[in-house]
Amino acid sequence: MTCGSIDRLLYRLAFAAAFAAAWLALTAAVCAADEARDFSAAELARIAAHGPWPLASAPDPGNRVSGNAAAIRLGHDLFFDPRLSADRRVACASCHDPVQGFQDGRATARGLLTGTRNTPGLLDVRHRRWFGWDGGHDSLWSASLRPILDPREMGGNAARVARTLRGKAGLDCHYRQAFGKPPHANDPDLLVNVAKALAAWQETLVSPPTPFDRFRDALQRGEAQGVAAYPTAAVRGLRLFLGRGQCATCHAGPLFSNGEFGDIGVPFFIRPSGVDPGRQGGIKRLLASPWNLLGSYNDDATRDNATQTRFLRTEHRNFGEFKVPTLRNLKLTGPYMHNGSVATLREVVRHYSELDEDRLHTDGERILRPLRLTDAESADLVTFLESLSPASPLPPPAVPSVVAACRAP
Amino acid sequence: MNFLTRIAAACHWRAWAAPRWLFRLAILLALTAAMSAVNTASAAEPRMPIFDAHVHYSQDAWESTPPKAAIAILRKAGLKRAMVSSSSDDGTQKLYAEAPDLVVPSLRPYRTRGENSTWVRDETVIPHLEERLKKYRYVAIGEFHVYGSDADLPVVRRTVQLAKQHKLWLHLHGDSDAIERVLMQDPTARILWAHAGFDRPDAVRAMLRKHRMLHADLAYRNDHASGGKVDPAWREAFIEFPDRFLVGTDTFTPERWHYIAAHADWSRAWLADLPRDIAERIGWRNGETLFAAMMATKQ
Repeated sequence: MTCGSIDRLLYRLAFAAAFAAAWLALTAAVCAADEARDFSAAELARIAAHGPWPLASAPDPGNRVSGNAAAIRLGHDLFFDPRLSADRRVACASCHDPVQGFQDGRATARGLLTGTRNTPGLLDVRHRRWFGWDGGHDSLWSASLRPILDPREMGGNAARVARTLRGKAGLDCHYRQAFGKPPHANDPDLLVNVAKALAAWQETLVSPPTPFDRFRDALQRGEAQGVAAYPTAAVRGLRLFLGRGQCATCHAGPLFSNGEFGDIGVPFFIRPSGVDPGRQGGIKRLLASPWNLLGSYNDDATRDNATQTRFLRTEHRNFGEFKVPTLRNLKLTGPYMHNGSVATLREVVRHYSELDEDRLHTDGERILRPLRLTDAESADLVTFLESLSPASPLPPPAVPSVVAACRAP
Repeated sequence: MNFLTRIAAACHWRAWAAPRWLFRLAILLALTAAMSAVNTASAAEPRMPIFDAHVHYSQDAWESTPPKAAIAILRKAGLKRAMVSSSSDDGTQKLYAEAPDLVVPSLRPYRTRGENSTWVRDETVIPHLEERLKKYRYVAIGEFHVYGSDADLPVVRRTVQLAKQHKLWLHLHGDSDAIERVLMQDPTARILWAHAGFDRPDAVRAMLRKHRMLHADLAYRNDHASGGKVDPAWREAFIEFPDRFLVGTDTFTPERWHYIAAHADWSRAWLADLPRDIAERIGWRNGETLFAAMMATKQ
């Protein structure tokens, strides 16, 4: 055998060895990925509980114009109209920016003044039970009224609202179509009607399915390709979320929120002095409000929708509790926590990983323990959380149609 | 003829006809005035003092609410006295130095927050307690956390002995098993059972019947009252043991200092649903008798 043929043989052997190694590595990776997706029946059930998405919805019985086309258009137009505010510069959309998941990207809201709480996003808002970080409202329409009147946010009033409605033919017409009468400042229903129209439009804001939803549905249908498309890191993060983290205890269901309130050890001082009482203040405010579901503005004659409000009582634990937020659309709605004090999802995960147990009562949130995650585990959990947001930027919300009676001749 | 009738008779030109109707008018006016006086007295009645048996003033609290501001909060809330324990004890001493008339010091074994579950196995706790007991005056050791058989660990046993030696109460946050074990160690131990062990009212009553020197604070509990009304099962407990309960806020985070006044008002509201004597005992007299009196004798 010549030297040349030995070289060729060695070359071929080396090539074959490299090919075999690459094949083995690829096979191992695929097997590992498959293994990562090998869920037990209990895990499958828990994953299934976070869907399907989007949720079915029905009109709000407390809002007689829920689903009404004229009210939806009126609500849309008013949402973007700054003339409702005292300085004619602040609209609902100033803080609830559609391209940011109807959030503003700031730590705390900035209306006429700077507030003390983070602006909540509005996507999927119709499915909430309580509204606001403190649950100070029990309906979407009453939650929509407060910012209009709050001197720190829009500083509006009935006269300004009536003037705004009458100043634009489209608004005036849609108001009449929705409520069967013209807008008058001295009409005690005016503000509530406007709030109900705003709610009717916000009810249409539904976030699209996410990579997690597609994975969850594929898993349910046994579609291997759809399951495999979900990143392995997200699967590992999902396992942490459901398992060791016990995150799903509070961030439950398709909304990834149980709709209630908790104290997760986030400080709630308001500088320079004072505190945000959170849920405790919210319950007091709600029960004192003329616009709660126990009052006369609730359009549900049965008052079945007021049961939870009727039995609300403050407890010591409510002091410093804040809403368990949905985890959908998180990529769009940072910064996080009730006061926007946590800038990134990575820091949110670190908060739970290094939880300060001293801030929790021994007999309070028993479920909360520091997770002590490794860097890799933290990254996996962040990847999973990111998979609960749409994969691509959201388009602007569709402008609702003008109702036939309000079209120009 | 009484005084009012005489005046009426003397003043009216139809003196022979006036006395009966004027007399009635005068009675009516007198009654109205009396009722008005009662209402005024009621409106002006001072709010019930409160002995808050469960206050912490730990490092994060004194950093955010310095002693002068903290004492102002207590006075504004209408507290007659506050039993304070802190991590570290320096917080209690700062507060006591600021208002010895208001603060009743209790020695917490924790030098930093976060020793809740580790202190029972930390032998360095004992010299720390001994040193503080030599240096300062207290009415109790606690609040400390201990559950079940941990109460028989050497550090806890020595703590119980120190309380006996210095004639101090134990402010114990734990289950009834831990209470039983401590009382096995020292049947004469005086225990203030934090949060009444978060136990049911019937279980709390059973423990109070069994142990004559066991008392309980109601801090961070809501089940005994709602909307200013006392729960029936708890009412029976309060009526059976009016001298054995106290109220408390539990300022376990610095923010909760801003809850002390609201808690005092909440306590006043449900206490008003009890007979006045029992309400006063639970609201403040028990604390005065059990703890404030101790500080007076230690002067």
